[in-house]
Amino acid sequence: MILQLKNIFKWVQQGGQRVFLLKDINLEVAEGEFISIMGPSGSGKSTLLNVIGMLDDFNEGEYNFLNESVHTLKEKHRANLYKQYIGFVFQAYHLIDELTVYENLEMPLLYKKHSGSERKAMVADMLDRFNIVGKKDLFPAQLSGGQQQLVGVARALIAKPKLILADEPTGNLNSKQGQEIMALFKELNKEGVTIIQVTHSEKNAEYGKRIIHLLDGRQLKHAG
Amino acid sequence: MFKNYLKVALRNIWKNKVFSLINVIGLSIGLSAALVIGAMIYYDFTFDKFHQEGDRIYRVTSEFTSAEGNFYNSGVCTPLAEALKTAATGIEMVSPFFTNAPYRVENREMDKVFMEPRNVIYTDGDYFKIFNYNWLFGDGKTVLSGPNEVVLSENRVKKYFPGIAPNKVVGKMLVYNDTVPVKVTGIVKKFEDRSDLIFEEFISIRTLGTEGIQQMIGDNWNSTSSASQLFIKLEKNAAVVPIQKLLEDLAREHRDKEDLVYNQGRIFHLQPLNDLHFNTDYGTFDYNRSQASKPVLISLACVALFLLLLGCINFINLNTAQATQRAKEIGIRKTLGSSRKQLVFQFLGETFLLTMAATLVSLFLSSWLLRLFADFMPEGIGFGLFGSPVLIVGIIMLLLALTFLSGFYPALVLSYFKPVSVLKNQILPGNDKGSLRKYLTVFQFMIAQVFIIATLLVGKQIHFLMTQDMGFKTSAIAYVQTPYNERSMDQKLRFEAGLKAIPEIQTVALGGNPPASRSTNSRGVIYRDGEKEIYSELQLLFGNSEYQKVYRLKLLAGRLPLNDTIHEYVINSTFMKNLGFKEPQEAIGKRLGEGKSSYAIVGVMADFYQRSLRTNIKPMALIGDWSRDQYSQFDTFHMVLGDDASTWAAAMESIEKVWKSVYPEYDFDPRFMDDTVKRFYEQERKTSVLLQWATGLAILISCMGLLGLVIHTTERRTKEIGIRKVLGASLVQLNLLLCKEFLILVGIAFAIAVPLAWWGLNNWLQDFAYKTDLSWWIFLLSGIVMLLIALAIISVRTMVAANANPIKSLKTE
Repeated sequence: MILQLKNIFKWVQQGGQRVFLLKDINLEVAEGEFISIMGPSGSGKSTLLNVIGMLDDFNEGEYNFLNESVHTLKEKHRANLYKQYIGFVFQAYHLIDELTVYENLEMPLLYKKHSGSERKAMVADMLDRFNIVGKKDLFPAQLSGGQQQLVGVARALIAKPKLILADEPTGNLNSKQGQEIMALFKELNKEGVTIIQVTHSEKNAEYGKRIIHLLDGRQLKHAG
Repeated sequence: MFKNYLKVALRNIWKNKVFSLINVIGLSIGLSAALVIGAMIYYDFTFDKFHQEGDRIYRVTSEFTSAEGNFYNSGVCTPLAEALKTAATGIEMVSPFFTNAPYRVENREMDKVFMEPRNVIYTDGDYFKIFNYNWLFGDGKTVLSGPNEVVLSENRVKKYFPGIAPNKVVGKMLVYNDTVPVKVTGIVKKFEDRSDLIFEEFISIRTLGTEGIQQMIGDNWNSTSSASQLFIKLEKNAAVVPIQKLLEDLAREHRDKEDLVYNQGRIFHLQPLNDLHFNTDYGTFDYNRSQASKPVLISLACVALFLLLLGCINFINLNTAQATQRAKEIGIRKTLGSSRKQLVFQFLGETFLLTMAATLVSLFLSSWLLRLFADFMPEGIGFGLFGSPVLIVGIIMLLLALTFLSGFYPALVLSYFKPVSVLKNQILPGNDKGSLRKYLTVFQFMIAQVFIIATLLVGKQIHFLMTQDMGFKTSAIAYVQTPYNERSMDQKLRFEAGLKAIPEIQTVALGGNPPASRSTNSRGVIYRDGEKEIYSELQLLFGNSEYQKVYRLKLLAGRLPLNDTIHEYVINSTFMKNLGFKEPQEAIGKRLGEGKSSYAIVGVMADFYQRSLRTNIKPMALIGDWSRDQYSQFDTFHMVLGDDASTWAAAMESIEKVWKSVYPEYDFDPRFMDDTVKRFYEQERKTSVLLQWATGLAILISCMGLLGLVIHTTERRTKEIGIRKVLGASLVQLNLLLCKEFLILVGIAFAIAVPLAWWGLNNWLQDFAYKTDLSWWIFLLSGIVMLLIALAIISVRTMVAANANPIKSLKTE
């Protein structure tokens, strides 16, 4: 088992009242799973994903990640944990505009203190694998959306994470580009990477082995 | 990692060219000012620091206390040296020296004559035991022990014995003042490091003999000449207090009886060697140079500090204003595992790059500034000073401090962003907190405003000083002092006759100093009026009957002295009032002084300013050449030239011809009264120029910062402007809307600046006995100036924003 959420609550105070963003979420994710989280806007999908990615706090409940209880960890340890095991893919790609494709790919490695030659090899490997060697010196603004997201996925993968969190990875792409990215995810999942994605589209959700439906922060009983 | 940071930094700097440029320019202006001023401070604070055991060396000085205030004299009475030698324990060395230079040096062997050599002292061998010179020839231990010896500097050797090898100069003879033969017994190198001990020629004190000293300086406890000075060196670990106590005892023991009567006293001070350079009470030995002043250096340092602060503030303002643009990068970096610390270092590194660039720019700028301000600074200050390790380390420290000061806060703000909110675009451009930025902008404009007000007021005061009627004629008057050593009346008469023959000269007078000058001659006089007795310090002005006509001194009552040497006073009306007379007429015929030396007041003249308007009008009397037989006080010729200034050059040429025929050996050095008055206010004019620069730079930096903020705000509000425009807002309304935000800040800055400036300038004006008003219109004018400048800067940008087509701005959103 890679992670476990137990009775997770998250709320904000609004006008003296608690507005729940997440309500009693229970989730177990085994290694090698491919999970899609679905639900209408404002149902708490992204919040859940951010909680899992340790980018966001929660108010109540327990969260265990690889046998570490995240809710008791200090900020610094938490950062180390997600730095090491989690890769993020964003809807808006979030590449750094001032860096080339090569440099964008290299960046996560910099924060993990890999040596220069190691980094070179790993980046070259990734470029090769995603067929973007020819684009390595281009800046994000010079790429199409699909290509940018490709780089985004490559960046998420480069540090060999155990878990990939994708927040509507195809949301800004046309359908063809979207299919390519989803196919890529499926491929990666076959290779053993655990993936959790948030999506609007039923079609994309089907790529997952398990679908979790959220409504107003609450988990609906899921089929399958 | 480092390379990655560097790349991002450079690309970011390049992407925001305008902001980077504003940052670099703002910082480099502040830095250049800091570098130039730093060099000046470093220069002045490194005088005489190289002497071995310099902390044990003191100059003994005199302070005279009286009811009218304290007077300072860098010299001491001559017997003090002997008294210290015999009485004191704890003093290792006592070295008296006289700074009266001989007026003539002759190298008879080579038939060369040199007039009025400078930097000559009479001293004994102990001087060379206190101060370690580098001896080229001769022995520092035994030299100057006998009479008729001289030690020369290398430069003097070259001057007096051109073409002769220094080793052959030792043993040769020089003749001083026509009669005193002196043998060269040593040659030293001048100090290579900065030093106020600029002496180049050391004559043994015994050459003068007791009689010589008595004639030249006086040898009793009651005469003090600044020419008779004294250096002492304390023994190792000796305390200063007992020696100070001994000096007090000596002063008390030898107190003049008259001093007791008038409650006057004398204090001997031990002046540490490192106080020499700054203490204006006692001065240094170089009369050609105005002395370094600590207050001036401190205010300069403040100016530099303010300019630096302004640059830093620009930096902070612009960087926090731009924060939202960097937010995305920060969010990504954080999700990819960057810690906050790493981000802070990254941003500090970027700041460091910019400050580095600013430093490089400012090195160039400051070398240019140093040349530009060459007139203001002592000769030794130049770009070469920056080669000294202390300044290099200082620059590096400054660089780091600046980086920290301007980079730390933005780095904290930037690294604080939460990745979730950034990546979810929850940081909306509209709601970033701008309050600190506002405070800083207010601070910037406050400084600029204070500078503007100060510039205006100092300008006004200078105008007031320069245009104020001195009370006597100052225009078209030239004067020339006859050589100090040629006192014969015949020569003067010959010169006068020559002057009178020049058609351009209307009137010629013979006298002492002009009515207003830096040097004064005064004596104490007593006036007895039945029961009351008035003792007063009376300044003396020497002049013949023409003198009053040349300067158009107004006679209120009575007459001028009957002839040049008769003992009669013409007093000014301040003194008349001091003596208790209401009408000038009452004073006529009264006598000043007692017994044999009591003389009549024959006239009363109107007051005039005897010095700059900084000082009050003092009691004064115009008298003739009373002691012509012993020592004539009439040594200066005063001439009225025609009102047509174009004829003056020709007149001066003719005067010089006459001069050369009467005093062929001496340089002709005429002065104009106008220039003399102007020179009183040299300090003020320097302050004014400096202020103008500081003001210009402060305004420049502040406006650049303002421009940056305006650019940022208008960019942020593009959408709002578009919507408003679509809804029908006019250009003027839009401009007003955009300007309002900034003009309020400028207004607040003005409100804070006014009392601050008022307080500071009021203090500054206290230095002047006669001063201009702190008029309200100065403040108003400065406020309007600032407002106009700010408005111009703002509207450059807002016009563009308001003119933009709303369709564009709304579409891109």
